[in-house]
Amino acid sequence: MEASKKPAPSQQVGSATGSSAPPSGDPSITTATVGGGATTQERVWRAGRLEPMPIRELPDPPPSVHLLGPTVFLVALGVGMGEAYMWPRLVLVFGPEIRWLFLIGVTLQAFVMLEMARYAMATGESIFFGAARVFKPLMWFFFTAAILVYIWPGHLSTGAAAFEQVTGIPWVVTAIVGLIAVGIIFSLASVIYSLLENVLGILIGVLVVGTAVAASLVGQWSDVTATLGGMFHFGYFPEGSLSKTWFPVLVGAIAFAGPSGMQQMWYTLHLRDSGAGMGAHIPKVRGLRAAGDEEEMPSRGFMFDTDNPAEMRKWKGWRRWVTFDALLLFWGVTMLVTISFTVLARTAARENPAVGDIIRGGDREASLTAMADAFASAGAPVLHGIFLGFIALIGLNATLGLFDSFSRGQSDMTYHFVPGAKRFGVSKLYAGFLWGVITFGIVILLFGPADGPGAILDVLAFLSTFAMGAYCVVLLLVNNRMLPKPIRPGIVQNAVIGFGAVFYLGMLFYSLIRFGVVVD
Amino acid sequence: MTTNRMRELAELAVPGAAIGAAAGPVAMAMALVVSQPVDWAAAQGLALGLPLALLGGGFGLLLGTGRVRPGVFAPAALYWFLGFPLARLLHEVLAGLLIAGRPAPPADTLGFLAYQAMVSFGFALGFTWLHERFAPRWLHRIRAHNPRADRLYGYYLRHAEAQWQTRENRRRARADRRVVRQPALSRTKGES
Repeated sequence: MEASKKPAPSQQVGSATGSSAPPSGDPSITTATVGGGATTQERVWRAGRLEPMPIRELPDPPPSVHLLGPTVFLVALGVGMGEAYMWPRLVLVFGPEIRWLFLIGVTLQAFVMLEMARYAMATGESIFFGAARVFKPLMWFFFTAAILVYIWPGHLSTGAAAFEQVTGIPWVVTAIVGLIAVGIIFSLASVIYSLLENVLGILIGVLVVGTAVAASLVGQWSDVTATLGGMFHFGYFPEGSLSKTWFPVLVGAIAFAGPSGMQQMWYTLHLRDSGAGMGAHIPKVRGLRAAGDEEEMPSRGFMFDTDNPAEMRKWKGWRRWVTFDALLLFWGVTMLVTISFTVLARTAARENPAVGDIIRGGDREASLTAMADAFASAGAPVLHGIFLGFIALIGLNATLGLFDSFSRGQSDMTYHFVPGAKRFGVSKLYAGFLWGVITFGIVILLFGPADGPGAILDVLAFLSTFAMGAYCVVLLLVNNRMLPKPIRPGIVQNAVIGFGAVFYLGMLFYSLIRFGVVVD
Repeated sequence: MTTNRMRELAELAVPGAAIGAAAGPVAMAMALVVSQPVDWAAAQGLALGLPLALLGGGFGLLLGTGRVRPGVFAPAALYWFLGFPLARLLHEVLAGLLIAGRPAPPADTLGFLAYQAMVSFGFALGFTWLHERFAPRWLHRIRAHNPRADRLYGYYLRHAEAQWQTRENRRRARADRRVVRQPALSRTKGES
């Protein structure tokens, strides 16, 4: 036997020459030859030109509709300045009727979440891997965009500035200590996903309970009814909203409704690490201290047998689970937090009309401080600290989520697609990206733009919004070309995601061409 | 009702009561941070924390006695839809009594209650989320001497075991596949 010419087992799967092998690039389930001396036949799913996915059993879905899941990451990332500041500001400027755009933005994001989950749960691969299966440069675009957009520590600054308001500790000190603490904690964790899910779960629980209590203390019936009613004024564009001043702000606020930029793409990695669907066949990413315990990461994902009715029943169970997550946790919590903050902003403006003017002016930090002051002077001093505490909490959630997500996404792409990177293992690559972004963040905070916190967030908004339009296109391609027919999206899902691509890219380029401004 | 039974029930109520009560101390601490008088802050914290703690504990009892299934949102939403407005009404009345010496109910009670009922959805979501985090750990600690806690913990345990078993099966299957492939690779190296 000419064994030296025999490829390694994983390559044999990929280079299957079984009689049923289809033309290259045509996804189909075929039989491939695997194994070394003991040759065995294995069914694989061919998707694109990359290595085919072996067929494995789909795990059972969770026995009950349980509340906790990887959506906690998406909520942590998604509930940010868009909900706490941008949309309350737009409501004060244009009235609650403008919120129909928020409803569209968040609902669109819920659909995107479900479609991201479709690929990740069916294959155990990230959407980045899916993009590479369609066309590798697509994946490299996201790899580069992530570095350009997320290496900056801007997301830390607003939360740290709010913390400074409450405690008096300079925001740069808080931000740097926070960066180092995040690095140490993630490096010491045995399984990073489990640690983060616990921490973020508690922080978001506190945020949700707290904002509900705060809104209940200061708000009025009319605030909520106006805010809710405003969501259904479809097509409402008040005078001035389509001007050079406000249209870019509107585009930015829509892009920041729920998860923005590449956050939805990272969700596929969290789903995989949570063991959802076929992600259960992929080992978890470990902290640097436990990197030695890491199981070898397979060079591709897996597919389940979509011709088997029992497997399809399990698939439906998994879809129910993720739909519950998308509707109640993601959509519900995002809506709740933004309604609460809108109620708070309306109350602050009612108590002190000068606050309304400051918020309309657009200085984020001044607005948040003015809102907090308004609560203090209006007989609810408790809310001064609570309000700023929530802003700090949102900043902390975003920081924890972003640092993990960025490192997770970059290490996944590096491991699979940079030659020679596999010898390091995913956990060490993760640690490399994590400490890289932390070191860069500290340097920028110390020596970078000194014109106040928040300023560096806006510069990268274009790429962030463009990535959202781009991932809608990628989703359409990946889910419709790389998945077996029985689990592909239906016409409604495709129409909504297609609308998303036109919505994000259309608004972005309209703003650019018509006004010469990207997003604000 | 025997003392033992009372203690068992009280223990079941602890996680929910703690989460409900957290609203009070947080409000109090924040008031102190912004230099409000201690007695004012304490009155606000007590008036808000006490009713929410009692109701939070009540929800724990419903779970412990099997009237509500863990991990399901709808019963919690309904419970707080009724309970949260009541707690806020008590807060307004109690805070007035403690600070000004006379109850201070809201002017438009019906409108006030309707608004609070609307906000209760958010509180219910956060409460359930946190309860699912803390309750299993607490039940694990008290299950040895509390049969009701043991039963409730059993539910969480079965859920976790089912997930663990699935994971172990997969891990074993992965290991088996590696063992099958290993000899083939050795032979490859040895042959010319």
